[in-house]
Formats: sequence, C-alpha cells, structure tokens
Amino acid sequence: MALSLAIRDLDAGYGAVKALRGVSLHVESGETVALLGTNGNGKSTLMKCVAGLVRPERGSLILTIDGTAHDLAKLSAEAIVDLGVAMVPEGRRLFPKLTVLENLMLGAFRKAARQNIDRNLALAFETFPALKGLQKQLAGTMSGGQQQMLAIARALMSSPRLLLIDEPSVGLSPLLVSQTISKIGELNHNLGLTVLMAEQNFNQTIRIADRGYIIVHGEIVVAADSVDELKGNDIVKRLYLGGIV
Amino acid sequence: MFSFELLLDAVVIGVLLGCFYAAVSLGLSISFGLLDVPHVAHPAFLVLASYAVYFLNEHYGVDPLLAGLLITPLFFLFGLVAYRLYYETFEKRGSDAGVRGIAFFFGIAFIIEVLIILLFGVDQRSVTADYVGKAWRLGDMRIPFRLVVAFVVAAALTILLTLYLSRTFMGRAIRAVAQDQEALRLMGANPIRIKQWAFGIATAVLGIAGALLIIVAPVEPTLDRTYIGRTFCVVVMAGLGSMSGTLVAAIILGVAEAIVLTLFGASWAPAISFAMLLGVLAVRPQGLFGRRS
Repeated sequence: MALSLAIRDLDAGYGAVKALRGVSLHVESGETVALLGTNGNGKSTLMKCVAGLVRPERGSLILTIDGTAHDLAKLSAEAIVDLGVAMVPEGRRLFPKLTVLENLMLGAFRKAARQNIDRNLALAFETFPALKGLQKQLAGTMSGGQQQMLAIARALMSSPRLLLIDEPSVGLSPLLVSQTISKIGELNHNLGLTVLMAEQNFNQTIRIADRGYIIVHGEIVVAADSVDELKGNDIVKRLYLGGIV
Repeated sequence: MFSFELLLDAVVIGVLLGCFYAAVSLGLSISFGLLDVPHVAHPAFLVLASYAVYFLNEHYGVDPLLAGLLITPLFFLFGLVAYRLYYETFEKRGSDAGVRGIAFFFGIAFIIEVLIILLFGVDQRSVTADYVGKAWRLGDMRIPFRLVVAFVVAAALTILLTLYLSRTFMGRAIRAVAQDQEALRLMGANPIRIKQWAFGIATAVLGIAGALLIIVAPVEPTLDRTYIGRTFCVVVMAGLGSMSGTLVAAIILGVAEAIVLTLFGASWAPAISFAMLLGVLAVRPQGLFGRRS
C-alpha cells in the first residue's frame, strides 16, 4: 500500500500570529520522519494542519493513497481520520474521567474503524501489554508513562496508515522517553506504519528516524535526507549538540 | 407530635418522591452535567411536556404515560433545534457563553410560560388515569399508586441512560465531549454534533418526565420555577453527569423534603433544595459521587 504526504508552501497562524511560513516537507510510505524544533516554533501547528484541526491560510497538503490524491486542507478532521491518519496529540489529551477501555473504544469511533475493533483492541494490548490489566482504570489516574502508552494505543484503534505523533517525550522520565521512542520504532517496523513525529529530544529521535527536518520560527531551516546528514549539520550542532559554533 | 411511624412514613414517601425527582432531573444531568450547558429552561421544557400530555389526555383520552412516550420523538427534535439555536447564537462566540447562555435559557423559559398561559390559561391542569387517584395500604401506611409509577419509570430511565452512556459509541462520546473537545475531533467525532444529539436525548427524556410530573400532581404554567432549585440541586449533588448518582441524590432530596414537611410544615419544603444546593457547593463542590481528576 503506497502512501505519501506532500506539504507545499504552507502558511498557517492564529489571527495576526503566523505560526508557519512557507513550510514544505514530504513523508513517503513506510518512513519515520522527524520534525525537530524547540517549543513555540510551529511543530504542533503543522501537525494540527495535517489532522484537520487547523486550517492553513495558504499552501497545500496532499495525501496520496494508492495513486489517489486527497487535499487535506479541504477535508474535515473526521474525513481525515477515515483516510487513515491518526494523531497522538501533545500532552496526550486522554479523556481523564473515562476508563482505559472507554478511551480505546473512542479511538474506534468512526464507522469504518468499528468493524475492526476486536482486531485493533488485540493489537493495542499486544503492543502495550501493561494496558491489558488496567482496562477499568480511569485514564486520569494513571502515570505519565501509562498515559502515553494509552494515547498511542488509542490512535491505533482507527487502523491508521499515517501516524502523527506530537512530542511523545514531554513529561516523561529519560527511561520512559527511551522506551516510548523504541515502541514507535517498533510500530513503524512491525506494522508498516508511516510516522511523522514532532520532537524536541534530538538524540532519542534520531535513533528511529529515517530523516528529518528542523523547524525554527515557523520555517523549515534544515531538510536532511539522512540521520547522518542531520548530525553533521551546523545548525543542528548549534541547537542540539551543545556546541556553540 | 413526633413519632417513629410518622418518620418511617416520611422516609418511604421521600424515597418514592426522590425517584420522581430523579426522573425529572436525568435530562439536566446530561445537558448541564455532561455538556456544561446552563440549561435553566430545563424545568420549563418539563412543564411544557406536562401540558402536551394533558392535551393528549384531555382531548383524545390517551393514557398519560403513553402520551409521554408519544411526545418523546417530538421533544428529541425540539432539543436538536434548541441546542443548534443556543450554539449558533451563544456558545460559538466564546468564553463568556456560560453567563450569556443563562440569559438565553431564562428567556426561553419565560417564553414557554407565556405560551402555556396563552394556550391553556393559568388554571391548574391534571390528567385522568386508573392509577392517578389510587393508593396501596401497607399497615397504617398509605402509598399513592402514582408515586409507585414514578418510582418504576425513574429506575428504568436511570438504567437505560446508564447503559446508553457506557455501552454505545455515541454514549461514550457524549461523556467525553465536555472533557476534551479537540481530542474528540481527533477521534473523528464532531463535538458540536455530539452535543446536539445529547441535548436531543436530554430533552426527549422530558417527554416521559413531563407525564410523571402531571401524574404526580396537577401542573400550572409557572411550576417550572419550583423545579429549577430541585433539579439543579439534584444534578450538582450527584456530581455532574452521573446517572446513578442522580438517582441517589434525588432520593436524598426527596427524603429530606418529606421529613422537613412532616416536622415543620409544607411552607419549608421549597427552601430545602436551595439549602442543600448551597451546602453541597460549599462542602463538596464535586458532588457526592463526583470524582476529582
């Protein structure tokens, strides 16, 4: 199954504030692409544009599935879920007063997703065995690590082909960050999920990314075709590797 | 003056009365408790349903409970329209929607009162059915049959709504919508449509509740004012949005009212609900069964 996302000259913002300026990037089938940048540089806005939560002011977001092009800028968030795009939002955004199982079931809200509910539920528990014993627990009472697992598992419930993950490492201990990133790598390898991941943690991200972009003040300043190219980039050295160049 | 028998009598009547209060509060438990809509017109919708039941009973001889069921689909549609109107004119505009929303629903409540007065006049109205005047005798105790009907219907409604909200996709989305609307959009659910549907259900329940209201006692156009205190007291005491909590809170209110009525006289009864509402807000604002998160 071939899938690709092509974003071209994207402008987006909130009123007078421009969060994204002329952003272009692409994600190809089966890749894990990293979108690196510190807080407030537009990573989340870009992810929300792809998911249909924020309408871009200019530019195009084309998702091509098996040769058919869909313009995500013109589709509702519901229709984008139906195309096989799922998002794990920043801060996890679980429903705190609902149980783990109820959160997972909401991930399968769309009619198309309901048909595969048993298979996806089994997949979710297979991927995160710890959740199986917590099914009746309220999501809001779980630890940060468990909540992050649930947020990813909930996204899997809609049978996605493109997974958008926004800052999975926020609020987690270094060990849990490492485990979460590894898990995302497994999902990419084992399920063939295409992944676009926004992160601040450079060293963890490059463990699983095929290539990446660096976004600063709403503009893509680095587009690297490999992890090695990322590591060798001067801007990356200045921003992430501690060296004041 | 005080006797054990009198107290027991008050408790039994209070439990039955409480179940009736639950039936008229369940809709508000959805609209205010789960959707955060400041629906002060809820009791006005309730009284409107009672008059619709009265109309069907008086002119076509339809059994009041059956009439309540018949108007349920109409009230569902009425709820869909009312929410859409509220959303377009108030909720959509932003953060102070709550305060202005109260003004909106007070307006609706007064319009309904005036409409009822124009159509039916200011006199009290009641319905006729086999079970309205009868009573069961249990020893010295007299249990009005109409309160038993209310008890059974309230229990059935509570169970049905609890199952709907916990077992169906729509029900779970209704419980999630006030917790995080944007996250719900990521699940592919449109929060506005979910809320509209839920408001429709909250209003549909009033069809049956309105039938109970006029079965339990005669109604008059301004009866809704008494029930603002009672229904909001029950929903806040229950902990916003809990159906079984609503039933228990309503029974507590019913018993409290019945005891005060027995000991101090009928004029004190209407003050009970507001006193309890204030008490709950002061001591346990998350409600008796609400969970902090």
